[in-house]
Amino acid sequence: MPDLKLLHGTRIVGTRAVLDAAVWPQNTLALRIAPDEVFVMPAISADFVNDQHAIVAPDAGFAGAWIVSDEALEFLQRSCEWELPRERPAFAQGAVAGLPVKLWLEADRVLFLVPAPYATDLEERMA
Amino acid sequence: MVDREGGAGRAEGCSKLMTDMKRSRLMVDGRPVEFSAGDSTLVAMLRAGIHPTGGGCLCLEGDCPHCLATVDGVSYVRTCQVAARPGMVIKRHPSDAPPPLPLDDCSGPDTIARHIYCDVVVIGLGESGRVAAAEAQRNGKHVITLDAGAGQEVIGVYPGPLVVARTREGMVHVYPREEIVVATGASEIHPVAPGNQLAGIVTARAATRLAVAGLYLGRVVAIGTPAEGITVEQAAGELVRFDGVERVEAVVMCNENGSERKIECDTVSIGLGLCPRDALLRMGNGLAVRAVGDAARTSDIPSCPKAGTVCHCAGVTMDDLESVRERGFHELELVKRATLAGTGTCQGSVCLPYIRSFLADRGESLQPPFTARPVTRQLTVGEVAASSYHQATPRTALDGEHRRLGAQMERAGGWWRPWSYGDTVGEYWAVRKGVSIGDVSTLGKMLVSGPDALELLERLYPTKVATLKPGRSRYVLLLDERGYVLDDGLICRDDKTRFTLTFTSGGSSFAELWVRDWAESWRLDVRLLNQTMSRGAINVTGPFAHELLARAGVGDPPQYLHHRTATVAGILCRVFRLSFTGEVSYELHHSVADSMTLWRRLLRLGADLGIKPHGVEALLMLRLEKGHIVVGQDTDFDSTPRRINHEWAVKLDKPDFVGRQAILRTNKVPLDRQLAGLEMEGPAPAEGALIWKGSDYVGFVTSSVFSPVMGKAVMLGWLKLFEGELPAEVTIVGRPARRVPTPFYDSEGSRARS
Repeated sequence: MPDLKLLHGTRIVGTRAVLDAAVWPQNTLALRIAPDEVFVMPAISADFVNDQHAIVAPDAGFAGAWIVSDEALEFLQRSCEWELPRERPAFAQGAVAGLPVKLWLEADRVLFLVPAPYATDLEERMA
Repeated sequence: MVDREGGAGRAEGCSKLMTDMKRSRLMVDGRPVEFSAGDSTLVAMLRAGIHPTGGGCLCLEGDCPHCLATVDGVSYVRTCQVAARPGMVIKRHPSDAPPPLPLDDCSGPDTIARHIYCDVVVIGLGESGRVAAAEAQRNGKHVITLDAGAGQEVIGVYPGPLVVARTREGMVHVYPREEIVVATGASEIHPVAPGNQLAGIVTARAATRLAVAGLYLGRVVAIGTPAEGITVEQAAGELVRFDGVERVEAVVMCNENGSERKIECDTVSIGLGLCPRDALLRMGNGLAVRAVGDAARTSDIPSCPKAGTVCHCAGVTMDDLESVRERGFHELELVKRATLAGTGTCQGSVCLPYIRSFLADRGESLQPPFTARPVTRQLTVGEVAASSYHQATPRTALDGEHRRLGAQMERAGGWWRPWSYGDTVGEYWAVRKGVSIGDVSTLGKMLVSGPDALELLERLYPTKVATLKPGRSRYVLLLDERGYVLDDGLICRDDKTRFTLTFTSGGSSFAELWVRDWAESWRLDVRLLNQTMSRGAINVTGPFAHELLARAGVGDPPQYLHHRTATVAGILCRVFRLSFTGEVSYELHHSVADSMTLWRRLLRLGADLGIKPHGVEALLMLRLEKGHIVVGQDTDFDSTPRRINHEWAVKLDKPDFVGRQAILRTNKVPLDRQLAGLEMEGPAPAEGALIWKGSDYVGFVTSSVFSPVMGKAVMLGWLKLFEGELPAEVTIVGRPARRVPTPFYDSEGSRARS
């Protein structure tokens, strides 16, 4: 069973143009979860977002875990009813095992993210 | 059919001697049955002289319903498609009833589903299937093949497109991007004549297979195209009937002159033509499905029989077809519905050519085959459920803490919530007389920011948002275009262009969609962030709430309906002063990462104040004493602010807001019913209890508790106007009750504001 931990980062909601143009700090992972929303790990300051009305909020609302690719893909083949992107790295999101899951797929590992209130369910369904 | 070792003759073409074969055993109805390597379960049973269903023409290709049995606890298994294995337990189905449900073992085997994506899926790996797969591969396509011969039974084609197959390893869901190729060949047409339910009747291809497997067929009579590789006596003329008791002993044919000839036999081989196995093609109407090979051929149409069973699955005879036709059912699809022919186990494999033939013979044109629908095979519940999941119920960050404290957890408002920690009344009094904390993380929380944030909320809510100063909060209703209450909550103004909205636990998901939809529709420049799942909230409530906050480092907490940021017990919080309980209350909104720490520190700081956590049950008692509604419980789908007595929350002098026009219009209609406060002596009636005025029904109770602080039952309920006004005295569960104004408790609100 994977041990999902709260992921600390920054949730940013801004205009699409501002987020398209944003340059995130090195060694951060920025997941574009909607045209107007990005989740950046680890947390960053608001200085990287050129939008005075942007919502830039520290966030620990996702729980996640890295899973080695073979194991992750085996689970996803059973639990994901949509086609995963073939390129790597890639971001994808949708229902996995009946839960709202986000995936960051790298060549040799996959980061599973789920809203923290569903972490226990994802752990149980991945077991 | 008997094992060739026990017979007198030898089938031609048979090369395998039973004595050379390694024998194993399976059990059929408690009887050990030996089988040989390579046997299907059906062949093993036939070797032992057992017909799985007692009789009926066997095809050995998975088309007919005559080899079904319960195999290792799974009913409706086509035994011709399952390899015999040592230790298998086979039970024949009762001849006059469905197989019994496995009530002694309800768990069933675990079945997984795998999801596979490809360009082309080829179903069937006969010659035409192999050609189609090779061609697609040559064109650079990613091809998936599914072959029943390899234990991969396709059970349905669905929009998507999606091809679902049952395999030995579980279910497979194949999603082809471009094409589904059906190369499933053709099935042999079965005979329809009196006696076709006898054992000993097989299709021509089945006869050959049985002979190759080494079964003794005895004297074989062939009707139509003879079986290959075995010696048969050809029966000329038209089939009249099969004679025999349990097993066929003779076939009766009629020649051109009308005279009958009886031919004695041990086995009848049937070669009446082929019918394409195109159910998957017919199922995939409108999808990119293509049939190749025999699956694409035109069906042979047998001559119309005079009598006999047409559909063995549903027990439909030629007389039945005649009967429904005489009653006006002339369309193939209607005949199917009227008789259920074609809806059973074989899904028309046996009966379809004959119903078409029957209707054509009765003067109708030859009608196309009826629509096919998933599934083509009986599935276990586990196979159907594979890849399906129960809807998960989210848990707050304090879920484990509630369980550790012994809370009874319930699903409430779409979340797992602590219903009670075991002493609901004690929890209640902790709020009324001391201090208590409650987990309200489930409340909807949304940030709204942007140049048009105020404009959005002004248009959306029936309150005057512009008058709300930064740092202040206000209770609001959320209305739809018809003026009905969708939800309620707070608007909290953070600064000129930024707001925090709260919604009910159960209504927050829809409320978010509602807000986003309107913001998009009006093309307003706003940013929206739903923080329901990333922000926890703890309600500190009770007369000692000030004291607890002071101990937690907040010596100057916000005033009633104010809010501000503060560090509480070392945790950064947004502190909202409000009250749902009727006592002083502070909601501490914080990161979910800090929920546990904050909860435990508050409990520790309040230990000598008698602090207790309270659950949802106590909270519902407390709020009802204050007359606060719960949207969805006390409201109905058509509850207007006037009907719930909340007109004070609607500012009709605003130029516009969602629902304003509808409220102006409906306000002109005389009030017909209203949510009202009620009280009565004695225990509280059940929620939903009917309300009577004399012998007239006048409403029902929506919320009801026995109020510890007031010593009587208090309720909210819908009351119809009776003789032009709300009744003042009513009867509930046979006891007198009075309509009273709300709040029931602390009507001045002085305790919450203190």
